[in-house]
Amino acid sequence: MSLNLGAEDNFFLDENRFKQYCEEFVKHSEEIGDAWEWRTIKDFPDGYMSKTHFQIKNRNIPPDLRQNVNETEEQTSFTHFEETMDDSQVAGVCAAAEVIRYEYHVLYSSSYQVPVLYFRACFLDGRPLTLDEIWEGVHECYQARLLEGPWDTITQQEHPLLGQPFFVLHPCRTNEFMASVLALSQKENRYMNYISSWLSIVGPVVGLNLPLSYAKLGSEQKTNID
Amino acid sequence: MRQEDVSEIWFEYEGSPLKWHYPIGLLFDLHASNTALPWNITVHFKNFPEKDLLHCHSKDVIEAHFMACIKEADALKHKSQVINEMQKKDHKQLWMGLQNDKFEQFWAINRKLMEYIPEDSGFRYIPFRIYQATTERPFIQKLFRPVAPGGQLHTLGDLLKEVCPTAITPEDDEKTIQVMIHGIEPMLETPIQWLSEHMSYPDNFLHISIIPRPTD
Repeated sequence: MSLNLGAEDNFFLDENRFKQYCEEFVKHSEEIGDAWEWRTIKDFPDGYMSKTHFQIKNRNIPPDLRQNVNETEEQTSFTHFEETMDDSQVAGVCAAAEVIRYEYHVLYSSSYQVPVLYFRACFLDGRPLTLDEIWEGVHECYQARLLEGPWDTITQQEHPLLGQPFFVLHPCRTNEFMASVLALSQKENRYMNYISSWLSIVGPVVGLNLPLSYAKLGSEQKTNID
Repeated sequence: MRQEDVSEIWFEYEGSPLKWHYPIGLLFDLHASNTALPWNITVHFKNFPEKDLLHCHSKDVIEAHFMACIKEADALKHKSQVINEMQKKDHKQLWMGLQNDKFEQFWAINRKLMEYIPEDSGFRYIPFRIYQATTERPFIQKLFRPVAPGGQLHTLGDLLKEVCPTAITPEDDEKTIQVMIHGIEPMLETPIQWLSEHMSYPDNFLHISIIPRPTD
């Protein structure tokens, strides 16, 4: 892996490597139906990974339907919900529940040479969620991790490719927590997809979970190349 | 107006919500550079455009944004070494100097962010953003070195050719578009290192607008 090891032993990710890791990641996502896709913007070579999923904010769901809705499964999609119920049941549940649309984007920061996670959430009528409202959907144990983690606060920033407000986990300390993960994989001469490792660390903190199968990405490669 | 009717304030010009986190000079260059002063904008107290503007509920948000830009600029110029060596009180002095319009106080700290070791001939990378009102993409920002491997200084023209070649085609040139920083058009032959040291905004970024040249 070309990781530009400077004298300070920092592990920077260059943009081409970023795109390669994302490509591998998206390919696996397609295999397991995890809904990540690569998006590009008109007239430019830049791109980013994107995932949208819907979550029901569960309130007063009748007991007989509860078994269809697993509160800890963040992947519960709206269509899955519909398949198991008839129209009157759907209407009943929707009246009591609120559907939230979550969007996660993984972009590359050329300034810090690391990936950055942008996210936002809104109700179906378009009303955006505040950061506090998003927190309510994050499991308690991850809320603690957010406060203790080696990252600065989450702030609202302008999405550099779309120009719209998103929440962002600040990238300036990504190197800190990725360095030890990378060093270990290098030491063991084991291939590691930077994006899946990084996302498995930062994702859960903002309500995004990664199925374990991502950990096996590239395992056919026994050793690190170049 | 009654207190209960007032929610977050926001500004707009000819239907476009104005991004408070952009420097005012940049907003003027981009939206109204060829109009006469004073620049008339509309102040709103209701219907905050959630999809377009960042929230700004206090001055702390502005300070945090400004400092984030300063840090990002130093990450590009000096791998964050200069900004990280400073103490919190130096960061505070930078912000207070800007907020209270105290030139000497601001530059006492900012001059350190403009230094580089002589052997390098310049910064590691130049902090810049190029804006075009016509595109959906808000700005272009890429890694760009101020000095070529042979030691020649890269110019503003070199930057534009490398980073947004479609903006300056041979047919376009200086006839149909303007390349503007702080309301003026620097010569394309100007070394980008010099521009970065002398024409950056207080956040240490060069905010460059590409706008259609007025036909009058």
